[in-house]
Amino acid sequence: MILGDFGTSYCKFLDLDTPGAKPTIIATKELPRETRVDLATGHNGRRFADRYVNELIALARGGEAMIREDEYVLLDCGSRDIKFIKYQNGKLADMGWNAECGASMGFTIELLERYYDLDYGHLLVPEQTFSVTCGVLGMSDIFDAVISGVPVAEAVARFVKGIAVNAYRFAGSPAKLYLSGGLCDNPLFVKSFPCQVTPLGRFVLLRGLEAEARQLRPPCIS
Amino acid sequence: MAPESASLAATLSRFRKIGIIGIPPLDVIRAANEHGLVIHDLDEPLVREDLETASPFLPRVYCAILRTAVVNALHLELDGIYVDTGPGKCDCALHTATILAEALPIPVICTRNTDTTGYGTPLCQARLPLIARMQAITAGVKSVAPYQNPPPPCSPTAGFWGVPPRDFSILELFPDTTHIYGWARCMENKTPADHALEATFNPEVPTVFFAQSFCAKTALARYLAKKHPHALYLDVDVHTTSSARAKVQAFLELSGVRP
Repeated sequence: MILGDFGTSYCKFLDLDTPGAKPTIIATKELPRETRVDLATGHNGRRFADRYVNELIALARGGEAMIREDEYVLLDCGSRDIKFIKYQNGKLADMGWNAECGASMGFTIELLERYYDLDYGHLLVPEQTFSVTCGVLGMSDIFDAVISGVPVAEAVARFVKGIAVNAYRFAGSPAKLYLSGGLCDNPLFVKSFPCQVTPLGRFVLLRGLEAEARQLRPPCIS
Repeated sequence: MAPESASLAATLSRFRKIGIIGIPPLDVIRAANEHGLVIHDLDEPLVREDLETASPFLPRVYCAILRTAVVNALHLELDGIYVDTGPGKCDCALHTATILAEALPIPVICTRNTDTTGYGTPLCQARLPLIARMQAITAGVKSVAPYQNPPPPCSPTAGFWGVPPRDFSILELFPDTTHIYGWARCMENKTPADHALEATFNPEVPTVFFAQSFCAKTALARYLAKKHPHALYLDVDVHTTSSARAKVQAFLELSGVRP
């Protein structure tokens, strides 16, 4: 059974029939149109599979599989949107999905790195931050700061910190959160959160799909 | 006949088709029924016209239900419009009435609905598809007849709190055993200004607290959702977005609510 998480910028796959197989990743723009999987999630997923699991459920199931705690907040920062789930006493307590006002934050962060030829691994978390609620609107702050003499790297770092702070507030300002999504690989973003952050990587939704798949098809007992 | 009733009857006798925004008092609906008037509930999408046709009159970022009411008012041939601007509606409706009164060549009459006689809320507690129940509740504002053969109440497995949404498709996601709370319950009870009834919820069942985006009730919805032990706050503008649908789906499924 092949699982697919079809994100805005990247698609992630896992073949459950190959023992020990690792997830694979491909840029969405390079995805063959004829791609088919058995179980999909992600906002592009419905086009590529007959069975679809919505992203929040996949995130929640992934969290249940990867986090051995009864109380936690799991925040997923994707290219296009941000979403979170909060568990208390082992049960869903709160959730949110910001696809409109949280639009394109991850996408914009990646875009800026390429455009300005930056390396987020070498940028320090700035003292100041922009008040960013949307990737597109936040770009104006960068341009204004650069015009006023702020170095590009500093301006972009303020933007990235602004996005992290916005996502943190969206998730309810927890003292500690688990982070999911491609931005886990961005050290500047991870360090910009004003709380303790545990990155879980970009395959949390795939893990959630795996849990759903196991429910559909219980493992064989020999 | 009391002077007010005589005046109302005289006014309505000149009309054949009226529109209503919000829920005018029962006296108005009763008189309209007695005169055999056609009543259009302007809060519902009635004409196939772009919502943008309301933009010369209302800001784009405004309650989608009132923008819909303006589009209906502009395109339906009405003889008059009754707009409730009392404690059962909102300031936005009051301002919309002011704007329509100037824009349209027909009378736009403001009312203050303070009706307190409860008709009961059988549909809110019945086991039937949520969309069908919400349609029946909204259709009920055009009549003063008591409810006949009310369906029996069921034990709830989920709750929907709020106003009837502009886009009913969000209601497809709920099980038939969803109880209705909030202003929609006040509608069925024909007491739209009953704020205590509006604020009532059942803490025992997972509940979606819904409000139209840019509506004053977003504050109440979010406030009550925080008080409820197992709630999802949701606001939707014109159409139900895929993320709004996914939120409701996930909330119900992860809360153990069966379809």
